[in-house]
Amino acid sequence: MLKELYLIPAFIYIFSYFIFLPKEKKIYKIFIYLIYAGFVIQSLIFFLFFDIKGLTVPVHIDRFVFFNAWILMFIAVLFGIFYKVEYILLFIAPLVAINLIIGFFVPHVLIKPVIIGAYKTILLTHIILILIGDSLFALAFIVSLIYIFQERKIKNKKNLKILNLESVSLPEAIRSGRRYNLELLDNINYQCLKIGFPFITVGIVMGIYLSAALFKIVIVAKPIEIMSLITWLIYAVLLHERMAKGLRGKKAAILSVIGFLFIIFSLSFSFYLFPSFHGLE
Amino acid sequence: MDILIIGLSHKSAEIHERESVSKKLLSLESRKDFTNELLAVKDEFGRPFIKEIVVLTTCNRSEFIMSLSSWAPGKGGHVVKNYVAKYFFGDAAKEDIFYMYLNEGAVKHLFCVASSLDSMIVGEPQILGQLKVAYNEACGLKASGQLLNKLFHKAFNCAKTVRTETKVAASPVSVSYAAVELSKKIFNVLEEKKVLFLGTGEMGKLTVKHFIKYGLKNIYITNRTKEKALRFVEESFGVAEKEQLNVIDFSEYYKLLPNFDIVLCSTGSEDYVLKYEDIKPLIKIRKQRPLFLIDISMPRNIDPEINKIPNVYLFDIDDIGRMIENNMEIRNQEAEEAKKLVDIAAKEFMDWKESLNAVPVIISLRNKIKDILETELSMHIGDKNEKDLIINSLTNKILHEPTMLIKKSSSETDGVNSLKAIKALFNLDSIDLTEDENGIEKENEAARKYRLEAADNKTKIKLVK
Repeated sequence: MLKELYLIPAFIYIFSYFIFLPKEKKIYKIFIYLIYAGFVIQSLIFFLFFDIKGLTVPVHIDRFVFFNAWILMFIAVLFGIFYKVEYILLFIAPLVAINLIIGFFVPHVLIKPVIIGAYKTILLTHIILILIGDSLFALAFIVSLIYIFQERKIKNKKNLKILNLESVSLPEAIRSGRRYNLELLDNINYQCLKIGFPFITVGIVMGIYLSAALFKIVIVAKPIEIMSLITWLIYAVLLHERMAKGLRGKKAAILSVIGFLFIIFSLSFSFYLFPSFHGLE
Repeated sequence: MDILIIGLSHKSAEIHERESVSKKLLSLESRKDFTNELLAVKDEFGRPFIKEIVVLTTCNRSEFIMSLSSWAPGKGGHVVKNYVAKYFFGDAAKEDIFYMYLNEGAVKHLFCVASSLDSMIVGEPQILGQLKVAYNEACGLKASGQLLNKLFHKAFNCAKTVRTETKVAASPVSVSYAAVELSKKIFNVLEEKKVLFLGTGEMGKLTVKHFIKYGLKNIYITNRTKEKALRFVEESFGVAEKEQLNVIDFSEYYKLLPNFDIVLCSTGSEDYVLKYEDIKPLIKIRKQRPLFLIDISMPRNIDPEINKIPNVYLFDIDDIGRMIENNMEIRNQEAEEAKKLVDIAAKEFMDWKESLNAVPVIISLRNKIKDILETELSMHIGDKNEKDLIINSLTNKILHEPTMLIKKSSSETDGVNSLKAIKALFNLDSIDLTEDENGIEKENEAARKYRLEAADNKTKIKLVK
């Protein structure tokens, strides 16, 4: 029953895209309102029907996918309001919609009872921390992609339009890149990294702890751990370079993109190729 | 009643000719004199030729928008043109450089001017303000009357529609504006950035002014000779602008270079002022913070290779020029769309103007019918209220179709003829189409009366029903 509810916000996000197609300024406002409406519905589902604490066997993995979609949207809305960059919603919404649809189709997965029993809290914290960190990195990824495209446009001086914003509709302004400025995109990227890194670090440590409990050995070269550590290392290097040497701009953006691709790899790796290593049956 | 526009612009006249006209209209006093002289132009019977006039002067055009007296045939506008040519050049042969538009053409032309479609730079926003000033001035001189009031308000309205519904004014076309817009693409809080201006070029000056207008506070100027930089600041900027400007010594500027986020270059130097080797180490000192270089000098003063350094963005005059060219094209395309809007607005105005002719005829026709009914019915009906009611409703019924016909025919080309025919048919001699000086006021009064009566009748008819 709950799964069907996921489709409501997913449908709203997809529908809002059709609204976005025309070039009217007023219609664009409707687009933004629709996205917010989708987020509100998502939050309602989350707070009213969710029961993450009452984790039972078998675990509904779809709930975590839904949680991922919610936290992703939550972060995007927060950043959108804080940095006055509503346009990132435009890029985040499809990701969220895909997440919701995956949540609808995902099968029930069993988590090994060993973990559920004794380490329930740690397991929950591990999942939630990793998901929050990943969502922040997802935002950094999208912002970096925008940065790379926009930077290339400015460097090559091609298709670069200067428009007077007052007399141009917002969608057009977004298409022409008038609203993006490189410095702001870079700042958002940096913020995401700074906030996301501690989450992911603690999350990975907890994961290793859980894995040790599962296999009774602390360090084994398990593929999932290697992947996570590589990802962690990329972000660690990126953060260090930024803080110490003032790495900025295109290189930082490219590293963010690579880091996020590794996250996707390691997640799909652990879920599809080596589920048993991830404590799944 | 005809509208006549005589004028000259960048399209019809050379710059020195435009100059000599605008020089004679420079002060308010001189414009007042000119207005009065034109209003005093008489035809062969000694009647004033022109009834209302608005004088518009800008750097690119001088235009006189006139409403002619009802007896003055619009085609006689060449008399006025001749007079204007004599007034400004003392030579009637010069009248070729003036253009002349009559009625619909004039209305369309004025709307195009107001919407900035006739400007040298299509879509530039100043012209509307200048037109408003000219109109207010004419109002102050009591030179603008009913017709021109309506015409100008319609023109302002039309300009607004064009501005909001088309993209004629959407894309900026000046180098200085483009420079500021580009900086906005790179920097987040532009107001806090530091700007260095190398040189004392004219284009650079405009760009600096634009930066100040946008709210940048730290602007530094340097030149090889410091005195020249000081003089440049003294001569080119206002008091408020000078507060944001600092002149630094040329020997110091390289040391301070890492602090600047935007460097503007507009010198007369033959060689590169900023070289690749200068900037390469700079970006490390700046901790990779973005640096925006604008080179608006010819020949170029900043080595184009610099654009290859990461986080450095270099734009030269050609790059900016290309973007502006694009925008010019967009504007010209949009102007075609805008002209359609202008045509619609002009037609609306002309319909209104033509319908003015019909009002007196309709009123006299109604009065005539009413009089007849009054005399006939008073023999049979004693009660005055009842009688009035019947008279009104009969008049309305009888005259409904003729009224529509008169209104319709008045907006056609041979409208005057059909109006004359109707007058002859009903022997309506009391109203003369070539009315006297106060004609329009009379018409106004009549129109008001007519409207009041009509409204009155409607309520009465409803009551009877």
